[in-house]
Amino acid sequence: MRRRILNRLGGAVIQVLIVTLFAWLLFYVIARFTGASPAQRIAGKTATTAQIAQVAKLLGLDKPYWQQYLIFLGHLARGNFGFSYVQMRSVSSILWPALRVTASLVFGAAALWMLVAAPIGALGAMRPRSFGDVAGRAVSVVGMSIPVFWLAPMVSYFLAFQPTQGKLLGIPLPGRVTLFPIDGYVDLGTSPGQWAYHLVLPWVTLAIGFAAVYIRYIRTMTSEQLSEDYTRTAKAKGASTTRVLLRHVGRNLLPTVTVLLGADVAYALTGVFFVETVFNLPGIGFTGVSAIENLDYPVITAVVIVSALVAVLSNTIVDLLHVVLDPRLRRLPAK
Amino acid sequence: MSLELENVSQEMLSEAESEKPLGLRAQALRRLRRDPVSVSAFVVLVFLVLAACFGGPLAAHLTGHPPDQQYPDALSAGGQPIGIMSRTYLANGLAHNPHGSLFIFGADSLGRDLLVRVLYGARISLLVATGATALALLLGVSLGLLAGYLGGWVDAAVNRMTETAMAFPNLLLAVGIAVVVGPGLLNVVIIIACFTWYYPARIVRSSTAAAKEMTFVAAAHTMGARPRRILLVHLLPQVWGPLLVYATSIIANNIIFEASLSYLGVGVPPPTPSWGQMLSDAVTSGMYQVDLSLALVPGLALVLTMLSFNLLGDGLHDALDPGATRR
Repeated sequence: MRRRILNRLGGAVIQVLIVTLFAWLLFYVIARFTGASPAQRIAGKTATTAQIAQVAKLLGLDKPYWQQYLIFLGHLARGNFGFSYVQMRSVSSILWPALRVTASLVFGAAALWMLVAAPIGALGAMRPRSFGDVAGRAVSVVGMSIPVFWLAPMVSYFLAFQPTQGKLLGIPLPGRVTLFPIDGYVDLGTSPGQWAYHLVLPWVTLAIGFAAVYIRYIRTMTSEQLSEDYTRTAKAKGASTTRVLLRHVGRNLLPTVTVLLGADVAYALTGVFFVETVFNLPGIGFTGVSAIENLDYPVITAVVIVSALVAVLSNTIVDLLHVVLDPRLRRLPAK
Repeated sequence: MSLELENVSQEMLSEAESEKPLGLRAQALRRLRRDPVSVSAFVVLVFLVLAACFGGPLAAHLTGHPPDQQYPDALSAGGQPIGIMSRTYLANGLAHNPHGSLFIFGADSLGRDLLVRVLYGARISLLVATGATALALLLGVSLGLLAGYLGGWVDAAVNRMTETAMAFPNLLLAVGIAVVVGPGLLNVVIIIACFTWYYPARIVRSSTAAAKEMTFVAAAHTMGARPRRILLVHLLPQVWGPLLVYATSIIANNIIFEASLSYLGVGVPPPTPSWGQMLSDAVTSGMYQVDLSLALVPGLALVLTMLSFNLLGDGLHDALDPGATRR
């Protein structure tokens, strides 16, 4: 078990190194040939050649590439992502507040999609081809087919914008109301109520696509477990349906679902790009999109690396949790 | 009762006599044909392909509106685009001209015909998605076959590559590459293929590794078949089924992938119409709150396409593996 954990951590370190190398090559080497050099960007358009050369020296761009990579890694290890070309402040001072916003969005959405998908999937597995099952599966396939970058403006339009125009889903309302805030973010520390109120629509938007997929996952896995001997035994011993589902089936699905969640929390970081821009949440996605528009390479690099780090971290954590949650893995020797 | 039974048994007899035993593929096809959902999804997709091939030029010809042509009189005096089924404005931009040109789906914020553009957008979507999928399949299937058949270090290397690639949110890395190499049709196809080849590779690897142990492979080997022949003639056909199911979902995902890249402004460059681009134009300018059809038209096109691919993929899955979801 110890070896398994060490192996997994070693793998995570290698993945982090690969992604930093990739990001560095892409944004620090290749980008230099396709766009303006970093020194040019920082020195400004009116800078003289001598000034640009001076900035280049300051940034260490005159050193050999391998040294530049090591310097880059060293800075990363100390949490230094460089300086934004556009906002004229350090990237880390932009990044940390943004991460808080994105974490609120992603974890809230994950809780929501699990709350929605678990009962629907389980019910579908209990009564296959019943009305509820067919409806659940239909909703799920539709949900999987709606791209989040279209869903976000639609949710914002129908639930937030239209009520302010005196309508809801096209139906006239008695007056103009503000049902949900159109955009903006309130920090959890400032006011938990306002925080949740401002995040309801973004949570729903981000959660729908994942809920659709999880309804399927949970339905398939539950129906597999329900045909196992142990569930029949539990039922024969007189355990109630709820008990069978929660204590027996649920406990068996827990490790698998945890691993899936770990991967999908990381995967949700792409959906965040679209949800945050539509609802004006100052998170990682919002920061990333404006950085792309401005070709603000240090910020883009940081967003890519931090997202990849989050992905590696959450995948590693759930893999370790998997070992804790699934006793079978503890006895088997590592591959 | 007995009569019915007789009828049934006779029917069964005649069926058994008239039809040769069906192969797996024919059986699957028959199951697929009997599934109304799959059939309708297939019809929609055929229609979509036709629309992508001929729809754009045809609509441009019939309406007389080229896809990139901007019509100032399709915007009101306040700069609002005309809505669905409207004619162009009079010169003052205040009232519709009864003899003006008809915009069936309305116009976008630059006064371009939405119908024509959404049809041309279908072309870009399908072109990029099928191109990228074909490239990804070529890469993935070759690597998967080699890894599954050869095993050893090739297998380990391919496995490590796919594991690493799958550990990261691929859209972000793709956006990063697209930002650096710049937008362009071919760039987008290659980038998307780079981030999707590992799904088919894993499927093919595992089914090849399993099929390799079967006796028919050993038989082929004893009869003197070379590795290349075993790979292409004996092992490759084994993976067609799961691969086909996978290909439909990869195409669907790649359509979204392309639309996402275009939405973020790093996909197919304007003014080439693409669904993602049209959506992002409508949303980032806020113009969709003035005229919802700007977001509805490309959005519903995307959803309908995705839905058809997903339903057809489900149907294929059920047809190739009956009983899997019937439990």
